[in-house]
Amino acid sequence: MSEDVRVSLEIPAETAFACPVAGLANVLAERAGFGQRERYRFQLTVEEFCLYLAGLAADNRPLTVGLTGKRHQLRASFAFQAANLSLGALNITSRATTGTLDASVEEMGLLLAGKAADRFHLKHKGADRFLLEAEVDRAYPEAAPVRLPEGLRPPYTIRLGSDSAQLTQAAALASVVYPPWQCPSSFRTPGKFPDMVSDGQTTCVLAYDAKGQTAGLLAWSPCSEQGLYFSGPFVFTSPEEAANVARLLIDGFLETVARESYSIVLSFRATSDLPEASFETLGTLQSFVDGRLEHHPVVFRHLREDNGLAVWCAPQLEDFLRQTYDRLALPRDILPVDAPAGRSRRDSLLGATYDRVRNFAELVPFLDGEDMTANLATHVATFRRQGIGTILYYMDLAVPWEAALAGDLLQAGFAPMAVLPQGGQTDKVIWQYAQLA
Amino acid sequence: MRSLLDRVPDYVRSFERYVPSRPDPVLMRQFGVAHLFRLNNNENALGPPPLAQEAIAAFPPARGAIYPSGDAYDLRQALAAKFGKSPEQFLVGNGSCEVISSVIRAFCGPGDAIVTADKTFAVYEWVAKFSGIEARLVPLKHQALSPEAMLAAVTERTKIVFVCNPNNPTGSWWNRASLERFLAALDDRALVVLDEAYREFLDDPDFPDGLEVMERHANVLVFRTFSKMYGLAGFRIGYLGGSLEAVDIVRRTHIAYSVNSPGQIAAMAALADDAGHIVATRRMVDEAKSFLRDLFDSLGLEYVSGAGNFLMVRTPLSDTLLYRKLMREGVMVRTMTGFRYPNWIRVSLAQQPAMEAFAKALTKVLDHA
Repeated sequence: MSEDVRVSLEIPAETAFACPVAGLANVLAERAGFGQRERYRFQLTVEEFCLYLAGLAADNRPLTVGLTGKRHQLRASFAFQAANLSLGALNITSRATTGTLDASVEEMGLLLAGKAADRFHLKHKGADRFLLEAEVDRAYPEAAPVRLPEGLRPPYTIRLGSDSAQLTQAAALASVVYPPWQCPSSFRTPGKFPDMVSDGQTTCVLAYDAKGQTAGLLAWSPCSEQGLYFSGPFVFTSPEEAANVARLLIDGFLETVARESYSIVLSFRATSDLPEASFETLGTLQSFVDGRLEHHPVVFRHLREDNGLAVWCAPQLEDFLRQTYDRLALPRDILPVDAPAGRSRRDSLLGATYDRVRNFAELVPFLDGEDMTANLATHVATFRRQGIGTILYYMDLAVPWEAALAGDLLQAGFAPMAVLPQGGQTDKVIWQYAQLA
Repeated sequence: MRSLLDRVPDYVRSFERYVPSRPDPVLMRQFGVAHLFRLNNNENALGPPPLAQEAIAAFPPARGAIYPSGDAYDLRQALAAKFGKSPEQFLVGNGSCEVISSVIRAFCGPGDAIVTADKTFAVYEWVAKFSGIEARLVPLKHQALSPEAMLAAVTERTKIVFVCNPNNPTGSWWNRASLERFLAALDDRALVVLDEAYREFLDDPDFPDGLEVMERHANVLVFRTFSKMYGLAGFRIGYLGGSLEAVDIVRRTHIAYSVNSPGQIAAMAALADDAGHIVATRRMVDEAKSFLRDLFDSLGLEYVSGAGNFLMVRTPLSDTLLYRKLMREGVMVRTMTGFRYPNWIRVSLAQQPAMEAFAKALTKVLDHA
């Protein structure tokens, strides 16, 4: 049974309710065992979003608020209706330029909310309905040094990982043996990894040797409604036995998820121990690591048969898509979509996550706007200032307005690198900013 | 602003709907082929027996306006006569899947569990899960159901043990002695469903006859189908046999009128004309099995070949990728990841042209892999 602490409520779209809801958020965070700093950030996030959304709500329709305290994270969700949504101040770039932003009082609140949260997501739920989710992570101490186990011996077995100490040790071992790019950020603070497993956010299989010592790890998490993102296989045995343990981990992973609700599994950071025959390589991402150009294959496989989909496609992307689908033997009906003639709002909104250690940033479009090309360029510049070289952008080909942005992306210096079958509602195109830093 | 999904139980919310394959014309257009060999569903490539074909052709269209017999009265009489039972010992459903659902509804309630294998026909597990019943899954041992492991998985909450005999997709089966030992050790602690969908493909005196076993064990129910050997998959007719008491219980949760009239008529005709059809089908299956074994040996591929009109082979590339590449060559197989056999495919055994088309396509795809 979930140990989550949950509160859900519906409030009138009135600013007077923002403060009590924020107080509730603080109580929930305290009850979930979070420290003062996280509690304050969560409270601020909830209060500012409530204030802003109260002003936006159409016809005074109520605001539905959900607050969840998990082991590793606090999460707030706001379901609301708004006719002309513009959340430009939530762009990470707005946060970076706080000092110069010519913001209204309302936008400043939004800016504060965006800054207090570790990340947020905006989902369009159809018509004028939206769901905004904001997350505040628990702070964890860095990993303590660990030594590789010695004398690992077959037979090797696998089972689903749940023991906190074993998970902590396995994550720390992976961080020692494998480069940062291949390890999830939760491995760097191994206390976080077992909490994510306990919360159901991450699942993993562990390999054990004849004496029950940890011999390998493979972890996965949902990355969309249809997709699971995996990391590994991480193998701690001698090279002669690595292939066997990697095979056990991969088979255990696939057998575990085979009858779940997901259609695909994928990874950009699979290790060199991956049995390649079990997967397809969709394309390659590039990055500079310690001055060297490195290529990272995007590996993928379906969990069930793919008998075709329809996707939207802008003219600039059509040749790339047709060639890719032919190479992958994927049956697709390609439906044309033109670049927008005019845009209904001024400010676009991009969701951004980044990881300095892995030299890696990801962009997702939340709202289109007149400034999309400029907004992309501003995000690229912001990441570059932070020393991040690898910048990805995801385009869901199920959403016509997203597919229509191909021209904006090309103009902003992005190039299509791979198509991820069923990676979104339908297929996703992974774009990478072409000029590596 | 509650969503529809918020209104459904957790066990439904977390369940993924099954997506069947699309109709042939759609698939052929999408994969750019002029012909498609369907080797994915273990259908009988010879079709129904001749008398059944005649019965289907003779079905008067005007009878389409009339409801079928709500409990397949005549078909149950025919089954009773064929197997020397009472008609009340049979219950006919819209394929075995409906009967599985009726049995789980009849015997399981909140907090109960079923036991089945992890690598077997998926519908037992699916129906249990979307009904809120725990499915305890037992790993296969040497590609076969393990009686010991299944017994060990039975608890006081277990209401039904599903034994697919022969097992789909491995073709392994329990012989008479294994089944009797299992039933004795189980000691009536749970109902046992013997799913004998593929039993007619076997001609081995050591294979247990479920309809005989159920006479000695009141806790045994037997599933059989007209979809495999009898070539009537398009009509969806499966049936259940059991003691009078057991069938009476299941009938309470079973939807009446679910089996269509032409299907009932065709099934009766098939029963009356099965001897030659079974011989011909077994011959076709044996020839195809021999052909594929030789093919896989020559390609150095590992395979599992047991009873039934199918064979399973481990592929040197992702099974889902191989599926798409074979589709482009006009051959449709079943990927086995969903059966928890990642990178295996299952191939239905059919006539020589289909087998040769599969062999040619597979060789071509592997040559270019």
